Amino acid sequence: MAAFNPLEFRQHFPFFQSQPDWIYLDNAATTHKPQQVIAAELAFYQQANSNVHRGAHQLSQQATALYEDARETVKSFLNARYREEIIFTSGTTAAFNQLAFGLMHSLLKPGDRILISTLEHHANIVPWQLHCLTQGVILDVVPLDSQLMPDLEAYQALLALKPKVVSLTQVSNALGHILPLQQMLSAAKAAGAITIVDGAQGIAWQVPDLQQYPADFYCFSGHKLYGPTGIGVLYGKTALLEQLKPLLGGGEMISEVSFQQSSFAALPARLEAGTPNIAGAIGLATAIRFLRQFDAKLINQYKGKLLQQFADGLAAIPGLRSLTQVTQSAGILSLQLLNEHPNDLAVLLNEQKIAVRAGSHCAMPLFASLQLPGAVRFAFAPYNLPTEVEKTLEALQAATDILR
Amino acid sequence: MLQQLIADTANGLQQICQHELPLLQQPADWQTKYRLLMQLGKKLPALPEKMRQPEYLVRGCESRAWLLHYQDPVSGKHFFVLDSEARIVKGLLAIMLCFVNGKTSAELTDVELSRHFDALNLRPYLSQSRGNGLNLMLQRIQTVTSA
Repeated sequence: MAAFNPLEFRQHFPFFQSQPDWIYLDNAATTHKPQQVIAAELAFYQQANSNVHRGAHQLSQQATALYEDARETVKSFLNARYREEIIFTSGTTAAFNQLAFGLMHSLLKPGDRILISTLEHHANIVPWQLHCLTQGVILDVVPLDSQLMPDLEAYQALLALKPKVVSLTQVSNALGHILPLQQMLSAAKAAGAITIVDGAQGIAWQVPDLQQYPADFYCFSGHKLYGPTGIGVLYGKTALLEQLKPLLGGGEMISEVSFQQSSFAALPARLEAGTPNIAGAIGLATAIRFLRQFDAKLINQYKGKLLQQFADGLAAIPGLRSLTQVTQSAGILSLQLLNEHPNDLAVLLNEQKIAVRAGSHCAMPLFASLQLPGAVRFAFAPYNLPTEVEKTLEALQAATDILR
Repeated sequence: MLQQLIADTANGLQQICQHELPLLQQPADWQTKYRLLMQLGKKLPALPEKMRQPEYLVRGCESRAWLLHYQDPVSGKHFFVLDSEARIVKGLLAIMLCFVNGKTSAELTDVELSRHFDALNLRPYLSQSRGNGLNLMLQRIQTVTSA
């Protein structure tokens, strides 16, 4: 493959033609969509729309084929062993809610422990909490070290308590730090735990090879991978997925229903009650095919270059402090202006048409542990340009001039 | 303590009405406008840490803001004390208070805040509902004054 050309990559995204004045650095919240993805969703509704797995007619069979093709695309993308291991959800949050409900009502017993890290997004905290109290399950949290990474010594000590589940994020959404998951998950497996990975931020950084990866479950959202909103994936090892109690009951997920009892369908239908997001799945598969045209390594190198350019420029602006260790980051940098609330900085960046996120980024416990009100997060994607980094640095200079 | 804060707030708001609001109406670049917003926020006293209690917190804002309310039993007038972690938000909230502080319940029903914000060219801030919590603060003011 040729060298990565960001200008060429950017041209696939019509958003930038519609909004030429904006610099979009909120890519950790959601990414933009290439024309191919938008066209694929449109084409489905215009040319192929029908419900899946149901109709007696050929149109439904065609829609089903498209939907199942999308599953096949995700399976090969993640190098999963079986198509039944790929469950379509509405996103990472839905996947975690299914996991928490399913595990709490099957494999977990009162007194069991679940281990997460301080860097988790609320989606990997709250679904567990919803059941912990009623099920008598204990949630343990790995603290941070001085580099704002999981404290691995403390992790080992918590693993010694034999948690039944270890659920960790691949990349911190608030700081961008890449967790040493290969090592952490292997240790968790060795301790006998079921391992879960929140890939919401990680998927755009490194796609796992799930046949090599020590994770029993892996979740991600399509919309952070240039795909549509409202579609995501819950991957799980077949034997474990089969034991998950379904969170949603309804059509399509059953084999027999009577008013006395129902029996469930085989995977993946068992965990996909109701009409799925057919167009979304097709859009996600299109996004994956789009992305596979590019060399992931070169994309990451380029994101790393943008991040380094940004970090170097920040050093010249007094009062700014990066919370992110740039060398450990998946293209995200969170910063703070000394003694100022992140909201003020974000308002002044918004005024200059720089789109960033400010606040606690759905990771309130993390910022509570740092004793900070939050941070301003800059998340780069491969369609961002060095000129945009320069303009962002100028805008930051202007904003800090006003606040000082 | 509360009485002093109320008096200082009322005093600050009066100064803002006289000096800063006319300035805001004049055309200026965005930098000047924001500097002014932050300056006027400084005219209101800071809420001491021990008074930043959960019951005064206006929930749902991206930055934390607090509102204390006092109704004079004789005159029936409503008085407020406010603070925010974010300086721009504090400035915007101070402007909001300019139009409600020291008014009776009957007078408050006649206040058209959106008209005042229009006149100050600040209407966009009123509609950015989630970011700055102006609408949440407004609801809180309505709740405490109608109780």
